[in-house]
Amino acid sequence: MAKKTIDSLTARAMQRYVILALLYIVLIFVLPANSHAMQTYHLSGFEYRVLYLAVAVPSLVIWFVAFYGYARLQEYARVIKRAEEAPAFSQLARGCMWLAWSLPVSVLTAYVLDAIADQWSGFHAASVILANYTTLALPLIGFSIVGMASKELIGRMNTRLSPMNARGIMLFFVVGGVLYCYLTFRHLNPGSLGSAHNPYFLPIWLMLLTVIIPYLYAWFVGLLAAYEITTYSQQVRGVLYKQALRLLIGGLVAVIAGSILIQYVSSVDPSVGHFVLDYRLLLIVLFRIVTGIGFVLIAVGANRLKRIEEV
Amino acid sequence: MAAKDASDLYDKVIRVTHVYLGPTADRFIARQVEHHLHKAPEELTRADLSRLIDWIRIAMSLLTEDSEVIEEYAEQLHKLTRDNGKSKPATGRGA
Repeated sequence: MAKKTIDSLTARAMQRYVILALLYIVLIFVLPANSHAMQTYHLSGFEYRVLYLAVAVPSLVIWFVAFYGYARLQEYARVIKRAEEAPAFSQLARGCMWLAWSLPVSVLTAYVLDAIADQWSGFHAASVILANYTTLALPLIGFSIVGMASKELIGRMNTRLSPMNARGIMLFFVVGGVLYCYLTFRHLNPGSLGSAHNPYFLPIWLMLLTVIIPYLYAWFVGLLAAYEITTYSQQVRGVLYKQALRLLIGGLVAVIAGSILIQYVSSVDPSVGHFVLDYRLLLIVLFRIVTGIGFVLIAVGANRLKRIEEV
Repeated sequence: MAAKDASDLYDKVIRVTHVYLGPTADRFIARQVEHHLHKAPEELTRADLSRLIDWIRIAMSLLTEDSEVIEEYAEQLHKLTRDNGKSKPATGRGA
C-alpha cells in the first residue's frame, strides 16, 4: 500500500507534466501567431509556429526532468517520513516542486498574455506586468520553502555560518544586487517616480517595492539556502550517504543558481511581449538547461538515498 | 544483564555503520536484523553477528561497487566479534 502511494507520486507528477506539455503544444498551434514576430523574421503563420515549437523543445525536456526530479525527492521524503531529517527533506521537496512548477507556469502565462496583447494592443502593458510578477512569485515561494528546509538541516548539525563565509555571501550578493539595480534602473526615468513609461510599465516606487526588493530578498534566501545545504552535506557523516547526498545537494544548488539567473535576465531585460531570437532568449535557454541538469542530479541523488532505505 | 549486552552490541554496530551510512545507519541495521535474522534489533547477540555481516555485505553490494568500502565495513563489524567489542570504529574513507 505504502509502495503504491510512493510510486503514485512520480506517476502523478508525470501526468501533470504531460498535461502542461500538451497544453503548451496545443497553444502554440491554436493561438494566433504573433504578427510582430512574423513581420520581423518574414515568416508565415505555420513557419512561425514550427520555429516556436523548435525553441520550445528544450523547455519541454527541462520541464520533464524538473517534474521527475521533484517527484523523486518527494518519494524519498515519504520513505523516511519517520526519520529525524524527514521534515527538512519534505520541505526541500516542496520547495523544488514550486521551482519546477515555476518553469511551465511562467512560460505558459507569458505565451497566453502575449497572444492576447497581440490581438488587443491595450492589454500590452498588463501582459508585461502580469508576466513579470509570475516570473517573480513562484520561485520566491520556492526559495522561501527551500530556505526553511536548509535552516532545519543546518540546525540538526548544530553549526553556524562562519564569519568568513558570511562575508563571502554578502559580498557576492551585494555585487550582484548592485549590478541588478544598475541594469534595471537604466530602463527607468529617475526624474519621474510616478511615471510608468518604461519597459516594466510600472512607476518606479511600485517597481522598487514589488519587484526589485522581492527579487533581492528571493536571491538572498536562495544563495543562503544553497550555502547552508552545502555545509550540511559536508558535515554529515556516512561515506555512501554523503556520496548520494552530494548529488542531491549539487542538484539543488544548480536549480537555485539556474532559477536566480533566469529571473536576473528576465528582470534586467524585460520581455517586449513577443518572440525575439536574441541573446536574451539564448541566455534564458542556457540557464534553463542549468536548472534542468540540477533536477537530474536531484533525481539521481534522491534515488540513491531511497535505495539506502530499501535494501 | 543479557539485555544490556545485546543493547550495547546493537549500539556498537550502529556506531560502525554510521561511518558508512550516516543518519540512515539505525534504520539500515534495524531492517537487516528484522528482515534477515527475524528478531527485534535490541535482541541482537554476538552469535548473530556473523550472519548479520553476510547480509550487510549483500546489502552494501547493492549500494556501491566499491569493494574496499564494503570490506572495510565488514572488517570493522568482525572486530566487534573478535575483540569482544573493545575496538573503536573506523573513521571510514572519505568520512
